[in-house]
Amino acid sequence: MTPLALLLPLVAAPPAAPDVAALLPQLAGWEREVPETYGPKDLFEAINGAAEAFLQQDFEELTTVEYEGAAGKVITVEVYRHRDAWCAFAMYSQERSQSAAPLRLGVEGVGGKGHLELVVGSYYVKLAQSGGVDESALWTVAETLAAALPGAREPPPVLAAFPARGKVARAEKLTARAVLGHAFLHRGAAAAYELAGARFRLFAIEGRDAADLQQMLGRYLALAQSEAKPTAEGAATVKDPLNGVVELSWKGRWLWGAVDSPLPQRSALVRELGDNLAGLLPEVVPRR
Amino acid sequence: MSPSKSLDRRELLKLGATGIAASALAGCAAAVTASNPPQSAAATAPESPAAPEPAAAAPTPTPAANRRVLGRTGIEVPVVSMGVMNADNPNLVRAALDGGMTLLDTAHGYQGGRNEEMIGTVIAGRKRESFTLCTKVALGTLDRKTGVFKPGTRPQEIEEKLDISLGRLGLDHVDVLYLHAQSRRDSTLLAPILEALSALKTKGKARFIGVSTHKNEPEVIRAAIEAKIYDVVLTAYNFRQDHHLEVEQAMAEAAAAGLGVVVMKTQAGVYWDDEKQHPIDPKAALKWAIRSPSVHTAIPGFTAFDQLQTDLEVLRDPVLTDAERGALDRPAHAGFFCQGCERCLGACPEGLPIPELMRSYMYAHAYKNRVAAQMLLEELALPRQACQSCITCSVSCAKKLAVRERIADVLRLRDVPRVFLT
Repeated sequence: MTPLALLLPLVAAPPAAPDVAALLPQLAGWEREVPETYGPKDLFEAINGAAEAFLQQDFEELTTVEYEGAAGKVITVEVYRHRDAWCAFAMYSQERSQSAAPLRLGVEGVGGKGHLELVVGSYYVKLAQSGGVDESALWTVAETLAAALPGAREPPPVLAAFPARGKVARAEKLTARAVLGHAFLHRGAAAAYELAGARFRLFAIEGRDAADLQQMLGRYLALAQSEAKPTAEGAATVKDPLNGVVELSWKGRWLWGAVDSPLPQRSALVRELGDNLAGLLPEVVPRR
Repeated sequence: MSPSKSLDRRELLKLGATGIAASALAGCAAAVTASNPPQSAAATAPESPAAPEPAAAAPTPTPAANRRVLGRTGIEVPVVSMGVMNADNPNLVRAALDGGMTLLDTAHGYQGGRNEEMIGTVIAGRKRESFTLCTKVALGTLDRKTGVFKPGTRPQEIEEKLDISLGRLGLDHVDVLYLHAQSRRDSTLLAPILEALSALKTKGKARFIGVSTHKNEPEVIRAAIEAKIYDVVLTAYNFRQDHHLEVEQAMAEAAAAGLGVVVMKTQAGVYWDDEKQHPIDPKAALKWAIRSPSVHTAIPGFTAFDQLQTDLEVLRDPVLTDAERGALDRPAHAGFFCQGCERCLGACPEGLPIPELMRSYMYAHAYKNRVAAQMLLEELALPRQACQSCITCSVSCAKKLAVRERIADVLRLRDVPRVFLT
């Protein structure tokens, strides 16, 4: 074995996840309790049935801690680590309120009276207060974590591929599972649109590589009883028995299109989405 | 719910012919050809927030044999209901309701409240008596580890949260309000909490009161019987629980005492293995959980239409067969697939992409898709003489996969003309 080969495992090893508890700040006037951690097998003990949704988005570990302040005030901090930044943002996008203004915290944050949520890299952070509200303490914890947690400070690039025209603000969602309600269409993003009085959605589904995409596409075309073939690049309009008329385009490891309200204008947006995907997400780096 | 075979039109028609799910699913299909598009079609991903609601379809009658009475509540429920907790797709909930799953289970905290909001869009316009809505409220002062209510617990928090939930749901009352996630007898019997719950029943904001538990279940169930104010218990229960016999005994006592019994976590983790490569038979697991008459309904969660189809099939035919019972024996081949841990990277002197090669092997042998396997090999652009320079293989797979043999096997596909692979 060559010396280079001996070094490669060290180079290729993914960075270890940091000790989240060590990143949590001390707050003057607040007592920080001992952090607790949960994994996929015992997440139910921490958040009950809500665990199901997190597991759908490849949850890996939860670190939770409480700060106890005066007069019964309590801040509960929950830091969820997911498999990657996509999955963390997916979980955040499932829960975020569309009515609240986005906050500049990590990739993005959102908040209301007595609560803040934010996403940083592969971490989704939720903070909540009970027994009274102390916004400054809440923000101190949020900003500390937003700065200290590792990983991306930008949303998954695929979100930028969705055309701005007609897009409903903050209604984009990511998912690691079951795009369009079909279990075999894994890992995708979608955005809601309102145009010319019609509502529809654009979506983009990512394969691990071209072969994986072909696998998904083949099953989808078969489900829709389409005569289209899963070629390396193509387009088709299919009748999904559950979602109606769906415009599909595909190339490389991407499958994108539109669903709901088949008005003519959406075709232009589908083309624009494809162009944006090609520009933003070159095919040279297959996703692991 | 676990992965299951994908939905196809024949399966839909088969279900439709039996009267389950027909209206919902055929309704979607019919909309394909109409100028009026299907509203809020399926997606785990986004739904237009203000999408107009389709006309509510009348629920398809579920055969009487597959409905049970939820204890002293007197509510007749399907033996399989919907745990909505991880669905964000209104169309999926509509299809479940129209297919006969008339009991929906959610909670104040699911998806930060989005779950109840989404359900609200689905049930708007439906006749109130056509569905049973159950939600749960957890108190912020419940210690997760110990199950004890901390000092400062405010029983009125229950009503405050329920009021918010009712607003999200667009209802003036829920059918069952659960005290969420109890794990101790003393907490389940805490007098101020019981008084607050009873008051909500008196005010008409909750027709019935329940308690949910997924830890120390027998203790909580028996406390619920003892309290006498609870009408329903919701408990974790599945074939992989070490203590399932104790849970069964407690459930039987609860049913005998007149409580409704609802079970959750019936899919037992969905997969046999941590790598999520070996799914548990979802039908068998669900049928196992509802086989006892002490269980009035189960609330499996699902996010995809084919999973809904699977659960509707169980609703139609809930009898556990011998073959299905056998499917609940743990398979010996768990760990067959590459888990993608990448610990092998760098161990190959030729620098071969071992995880991708293992995936190609998986396509070829597990999925029987040799075209996909070959395409992946082409993408990898491997040298012609790949995996031929070593006498012994230095790669040690964490899952003990026979890496060298698999590579040798799958590389042969490179020489096969594509036409012979289809």
